[in-house]
Amino acid sequence: MNFKYGILRNIIVIVLLILIQKTFIKVFSVSALNISPDFVIIALVFIGAREGKITGSIYGFLTGLLADFLSGTFLGLSSLSYTIAAFLAGFFKSENEKFLTKYFFLVTVFACSFAGNFIYYWIYFQGTPITFPEVIIKYVLTTSAYTTIVSIIYVIFPRRKKIERSFLGEA
Amino acid sequence: MKRIGQLILNIKEYLILTVLIIFSLAFLFSNDNTQIRFLRAAAVGMFGTVQSGLSSIPNVFDLQQENKVLRETNIKLSNEVSNLKEAKLENIRLTKLLNFKETSGLGLVSANIVNKSLIQTRNTITLNVGENDSVFVNMSVITDAGLVGRIVSTSKNYSIAQILYNKDMRITVKSQRSRIDGIMTFDGVSSLSVINIQKNADVNVGDVFITSEYSNIYPSGVPVGIVVETGNLDNLFKKIIVMPLIDFASLENVFVVKYLPNKERYALEKTFQSGKK
Repeated sequence: MNFKYGILRNIIVIVLLILIQKTFIKVFSVSALNISPDFVIIALVFIGAREGKITGSIYGFLTGLLADFLSGTFLGLSSLSYTIAAFLAGFFKSENEKFLTKYFFLVTVFACSFAGNFIYYWIYFQGTPITFPEVIIKYVLTTSAYTTIVSIIYVIFPRRKKIERSFLGEA
Repeated sequence: MKRIGQLILNIKEYLILTVLIIFSLAFLFSNDNTQIRFLRAAAVGMFGTVQSGLSSIPNVFDLQQENKVLRETNIKLSNEVSNLKEAKLENIRLTKLLNFKETSGLGLVSANIVNKSLIQTRNTITLNVGENDSVFVNMSVITDAGLVGRIVSTSKNYSIAQILYNKDMRITVKSQRSRIDGIMTFDGVSSLSVINIQKNADVNVGDVFITSEYSNIYPSGVPVGIVVETGNLDNLFKKIIVMPLIDFASLENVFVVKYLPNKERYALEKTFQSGKK
């Protein structure tokens, strides 16, 4: 029952984050640098690091697919990048789950976000005049860094334990 | 079997990841935008490079078979090239002859040389035309380049012609430029010479000798040879060496001129010569 409840919670949170990502992203965007944070990937990294590679990659794939359907432009691209990012997060799974609330989590978010963004933007800018170094510096690094900065909120949030429990569907 | 199951369990995470990536790529490649077209092109290019690399690995059995086929093809092609070259040369030769036949104004019978001798003192050629083709003794044999000789013997379908390199051949000729008359003969060894030309006659190297109208056998004006050497034979006459205009070694096709000596003139001159003797 708890397991099912946890899944439902995860799905609701992810769907909400996708909606925020798709609708209110302009609020958080740095238009001068043309970058915006990826809220969804933070949740996926958390799930991957909390529950392992298999669960993380399945969540990543389905989340990406949903995001692609909602954006309606590039089916398969987000699912590929989210799958890999969440799978990589599974490597950070540890018996001691406390690290999920520590600053090391930021390193995990940056690493996984970097991998996901790298795949996403590298494919996204194929056939355009933008060079590979430009893709890395202007988009992959900046977006990953911004996403990591946003994920600080989770680490420093005073009620993080409560959020953590609600996020993972724990009783 | 158990080990395989264990192995699959050990790598199940990667198997699931692979399956999900494959699904993602399948969705990705179902798009038809610029990026995917570019990726498709890159994938095809990469695949082509790998294939090209693999194709350079030789297969000994295939190579043997391929070598055999190539050798056979090579022989066939060589044969074809040879035949084509032959056909081309024949075409050029026959075209020249045809043009000559059309423009010469003489009645001509075309003939192929079926046999020839060039190393004797009395050299002849055998032609594949004879009396059935209205070819008779004393008719001249020519090509577009000049005089070849005259018919000395005929059968129904073949004839034999004396060529310039024949010791019995004596042709009344004249210089085309200075109109000096002489008689061309073969020394029996290697060279043709024009005799009976006075020491002070105007004959130079490069002059062309043609058949003279004094000849009762050959039609006049047919080129015979070109002067290659002049000198003094004795106090009275010049020594003139002539090279024929015909390359007898490569000669294959000729024309027989349907021109016979005037019988009355021939008989009169013969009678007169006999009376003098």
